[in-house]
Amino acid sequence: MVQLFGLLLWLVIIPIGIGLIPVHFVSADKRKPGIVLLAGYFGMWAVFELVTIPAVIFVKYDNFKVASNCFMVLAILCAAAGIWLAYRDRKEWKLISPVVCVREMSWAERIEWLLFFALLGFQLYKAAAYASFDGDDAYYVVESLIAQQADVMYRILPYTGRPTDLDVRHVLAVFPMWVAYVAVKSDIHATIVSHLIMPMVLIPLSYLVYYEVGKLLFCRSTEKNHPENLPIFMIVMAMFQIFGNVSIYTNETFFLTRTWQGKAVAGSLVIPALFWLFLLIHDGTAKKRADMGLWILFVCINMTAGVCSSIAVFLVCILMAVTAFCLAIVERDYKIILKMAAVCIPNVLYMMIYVIMGYSYLLK
Amino acid sequence: MWGIFLESVVIFKNYMGFHENGYLAGIYLFVLLYLWLTEKDKRRRAIFVYAPTLLLLMFFCPLFRKIFVRLLEDSETYYRLLWLLQMSIVSAYGMMKLCGRHRRIGLAVVCVAIAACGNYVYDSEHITRAENVYHLPQEAIDIVDLIEPEEGRITALVPADLIYYIRQYSTNIELPYGREMLIARWDYHHAMYEAMEKADVIETETFAELARQYPCAYVILKEDRKTDKPLTECGYTLYDQVGDYLIYKDMETDDAI
Repeated sequence: MVQLFGLLLWLVIIPIGIGLIPVHFVSADKRKPGIVLLAGYFGMWAVFELVTIPAVIFVKYDNFKVASNCFMVLAILCAAAGIWLAYRDRKEWKLISPVVCVREMSWAERIEWLLFFALLGFQLYKAAAYASFDGDDAYYVVESLIAQQADVMYRILPYTGRPTDLDVRHVLAVFPMWVAYVAVKSDIHATIVSHLIMPMVLIPLSYLVYYEVGKLLFCRSTEKNHPENLPIFMIVMAMFQIFGNVSIYTNETFFLTRTWQGKAVAGSLVIPALFWLFLLIHDGTAKKRADMGLWILFVCINMTAGVCSSIAVFLVCILMAVTAFCLAIVERDYKIILKMAAVCIPNVLYMMIYVIMGYSYLLK
Repeated sequence: MWGIFLESVVIFKNYMGFHENGYLAGIYLFVLLYLWLTEKDKRRRAIFVYAPTLLLLMFFCPLFRKIFVRLLEDSETYYRLLWLLQMSIVSAYGMMKLCGRHRRIGLAVVCVAIAACGNYVYDSEHITRAENVYHLPQEAIDIVDLIEPEEGRITALVPADLIYYIRQYSTNIELPYGREMLIARWDYHHAMYEAMEKADVIETETFAELARQYPCAYVILKEDRKTDKPLTECGYTLYDQVGDYLIYKDMETDDAI
């Protein structure tokens, strides 16, 4: 029961609370539960990064305990602030009951949604009932377990258990520490959290991003609607994930076989989330001042890339630069490049820390 | 530069699974071409057509690859640049557009095409029915339960097939060497690993001497692992057996550190 409460608090309530902050700065017509949850997770991971990286670098002993205590306080404060903001502007919220949405659907659409949920359920069942072997677990999962059992982050070599120096390639990507945090707060073994709980959270969360992308592609208010295409889009996306294992390298393979690893989260959640925001910001309905929250969300997603993997930071910078360049040309609005560059500032700082740590031996 | 370009081509082929008849990339490239010809919305063109095309060009650009590899000091992860294409989102969108009004028949055709060109992820040899909630081999858990001290930590020597799992269950068990020894391309050398895994027949005296340097409180061997003389003659006692694994306890080494 305590375990269930811990999971509910840190995987549902706190993210929703935090998500209400950026959503407060978004125009009322865009405030939807899906956006709140996604914004909450990205916001939570951004806060986690802010707290954990300094603790990893500057605190030597019990650094996980220090980081998790600071994060707990900050996350609860942020969630409380979010709930207070939502309460303050409660009259602006226009929530539509899912029952109404289902009633408005044709029978064909209902069946298509059922088919999609069957595919999603199948993936969740496979994630729970089947074990996927991956050698990298000997690093990432054990890092989470060390943090849970010894309160130490990145100072013990996971492979053997001997003390080690900070390894710049891994220490800035603190996703395993977040897994450890959830494990500690729910009092569940970190390996169970990684292999069993994380897929139950991250797979639906990724599909929520795909759903939001699909909604922007097929349910826009500015052109002729094709909302009936949305469930079909979701089915096709699910089919791509299930049959995307054309090699061990694809993000689809990572998504279903290494769901709990930061790099899989980067490929299947963070990068698609950037696509979602590119569409959301430039879907023609964005109100420049009212949608500051979307830019906050951009920053949070960029920071989440750093939580997931150091390489993901470089990757999202490349994606942001290329897309900003293309959008600037088609929109003939070169300010986009400046705005996109501004939201990448955390990534630049991250890369600076990476380079300084990586090459600090030259200064000695 | 030409050599670097060819390397990128090989990485692309391996990523897309061309060598295993995976043609999902064919669908993606076809959809990309289709969107080039038909997408009218300029913003969507930028996000779903121009940006992926530019990323593909960058991927094959030798100079870009040189900079990427130099910056990250890692050439093995270059394939992750292809994650930015988000093949599934772009393909799904293009296919929906292509199907137009023929939604249902289109869905059936698309699903068959994906299944035919793709590879079912759950057919992977690395996916097996979970034996427990940890998703670890039960034998690894049983062994750790037997040897884990109530307080403190111990070092144990385990066969290669258990190395990945032991510390995923308990970090109170330390290992003389870890997974790094099992990746041939990392090219590590470790005397204990050589003695444990490389020798056809374990030379018990030398082996025991090495193991005591760590000191390994327990040595776990596969039942069929050959030794020139039994470990029990070198200060070990047969502590227990779990499946195919024999657990030897070193009587000359203190339990916990």
